[in-house]
Amino acid sequence: MSTNQSRPRYYELTRRIIYVSIALAVIIPYFYNPKQDFSPSIEVRKVYDKVESLSPGDHLLISIDYDPSSEAELYPMSLALLRHCFKKGVIPIVMTPWPTSVGIAKKGCDEAVADANSMFGKKVVSGKDYVFLGFRPGITNLMLKMGDNLKGAFDKDYYGQPTQGMKALAGVSSLKNVKLLVDLAAMGTVEWWIAYGADKADIPMATGTTAVMTPDLYPFYQSNQLIGFLGGLRGAADYEKLLKIPGRGERGMLAQSVTHVLIILLILGANIHMFASQLLRKKEALS
Amino acid sequence: MSDYPEAVNIQAGAAKRRQAVEMGALALLVVVFLIVSFIRQNPFAEGANPGKAIGLIVAAGLTLIMFSFLYRDNPLFKIGENLYVGVSLGYTVVITWRDFLRPLVYQPLFEAPTAAALQSSLLHLTVPVALGILLLGRISRKHGWISRYAYAILIGWGAGVAIPLVTNSYILQQLTAAVKPLQEAIGPQAPAATTFSQAWLLGTAGPVLGALVAMIGTVAVLFYFFFSVEHKKLGSAVSKLGIWFLMVSFGASFGYTVMGRLSLLIGRVNFLLGEWLNIQNK
Repeated sequence: MSTNQSRPRYYELTRRIIYVSIALAVIIPYFYNPKQDFSPSIEVRKVYDKVESLSPGDHLLISIDYDPSSEAELYPMSLALLRHCFKKGVIPIVMTPWPTSVGIAKKGCDEAVADANSMFGKKVVSGKDYVFLGFRPGITNLMLKMGDNLKGAFDKDYYGQPTQGMKALAGVSSLKNVKLLVDLAAMGTVEWWIAYGADKADIPMATGTTAVMTPDLYPFYQSNQLIGFLGGLRGAADYEKLLKIPGRGERGMLAQSVTHVLIILLILGANIHMFASQLLRKKEALS
Repeated sequence: MSDYPEAVNIQAGAAKRRQAVEMGALALLVVVFLIVSFIRQNPFAEGANPGKAIGLIVAAGLTLIMFSFLYRDNPLFKIGENLYVGVSLGYTVVITWRDFLRPLVYQPLFEAPTAAALQSSLLHLTVPVALGILLLGRISRKHGWISRYAYAILIGWGAGVAIPLVTNSYILQQLTAAVKPLQEAIGPQAPAATTFSQAWLLGTAGPVLGALVAMIGTVAVLFYFFFSVEHKKLGSAVSKLGIWFLMVSFGASFGYTVMGRLSLLIGRVNFLLGEWLNIQNK
């Protein structure tokens, strides 16, 4: 009886010890940031190589399919990709089919534009070096419309400038004229972009997704429907490493490693505790 | 009535004391939060950006409020939760109106600059807008049937468009990838190897082994879900292998999920330390 009564308090205490340990494992590495040596994954390298192979003036479409709740994982990817585009002179076309993504998409564009000035000494101008198209509803219908007539789907950009005659969209009439489609997604839009966007327009596609979604991408990667992908914060860190511009991804890797080790130890400890308790109970029952 | 009224009174008194202590601690934490916030992000300081500073304080406060659930469900957490839902919905409504309904529906129909423009808008927008309004019929139980016409068009059109695209992307291309020759796994330009050790040295053994594992896994898992034949002897072994493949895949998904959730925590902690408390890391 006493065991049953003491159990909840014991478990409650264990739960809080775990919370505190995880919090410390995340907070302490913030103050110590040694150089971490990790090699970027092949999936991320393929995306990087593809962007690297594009010529100045080529177009890359970035669909922002995440809202602020996934900022930690996907915002560093947006920044790294946009910085890469601006560095190479590739023209990013940024858009979103989600109303809650507009703010974060604009924030990413503004930050990358400011970085282009400070990092590469380039003055990047909206409507000339990049275009932020903003939001349109419809998701799959929007993708289909963009496959037929991109300027018809977005007659004006976010700032109200007409897309017809816009310098940044010169030579782009539909998705077919885009050299690479990148979906940065925390929602189930990757499969839609594959079917309704990339496969239909026959253009290469890459993705950056939250870690939770990443395992589902491997079948599409194996079938070459995706040329590569960035999975979670690690994917962002890999891209930043390849780009040689440190960002939030790389900065989070130490905390990620420490917490992963801690979780492995907790799993091992809990299992040892469980087996030891079972053994003890058996012994008690026998005696 | 309890048999032990005194015990009930003691328990109620203890609960009240605990609640009072918790409320006191909460009030103290709020005061500490405000003091720390105004030290690190003083919106009234000279040269400060008041909008940004207040935004940071609110964001930090809401982050801490959401973390308070780790201790226990509490009124502040409920406020934060409802605020999140309300703000998301309000933001969605405003953006939808500003970026879509106003420029693409309202202005062409009600603020058309010329009669010709209005005529063109009426021609292009009447049917879609009418169908959209019909969908709103779902709100009424009595007139809900009106929305069926719009849904019929949506489903018919949607299925017609989706079936060929989805069949191609999710079935045919996946099947093609599953049965492609092993040479394709290593690429057509890969050097040929006659023995396994040679292939290992050339770096082509890995992709071939990977493709073989994927093939065995696909067959084993498909067999596990094939219920027309009793899983006995060899069938039982293949079926068990299928379960192992499934378990490995669940493990991979769980690992990625843990990584994802920790990334979110890292993001919030970096925000609290770096932006709210303004502590620069090395």
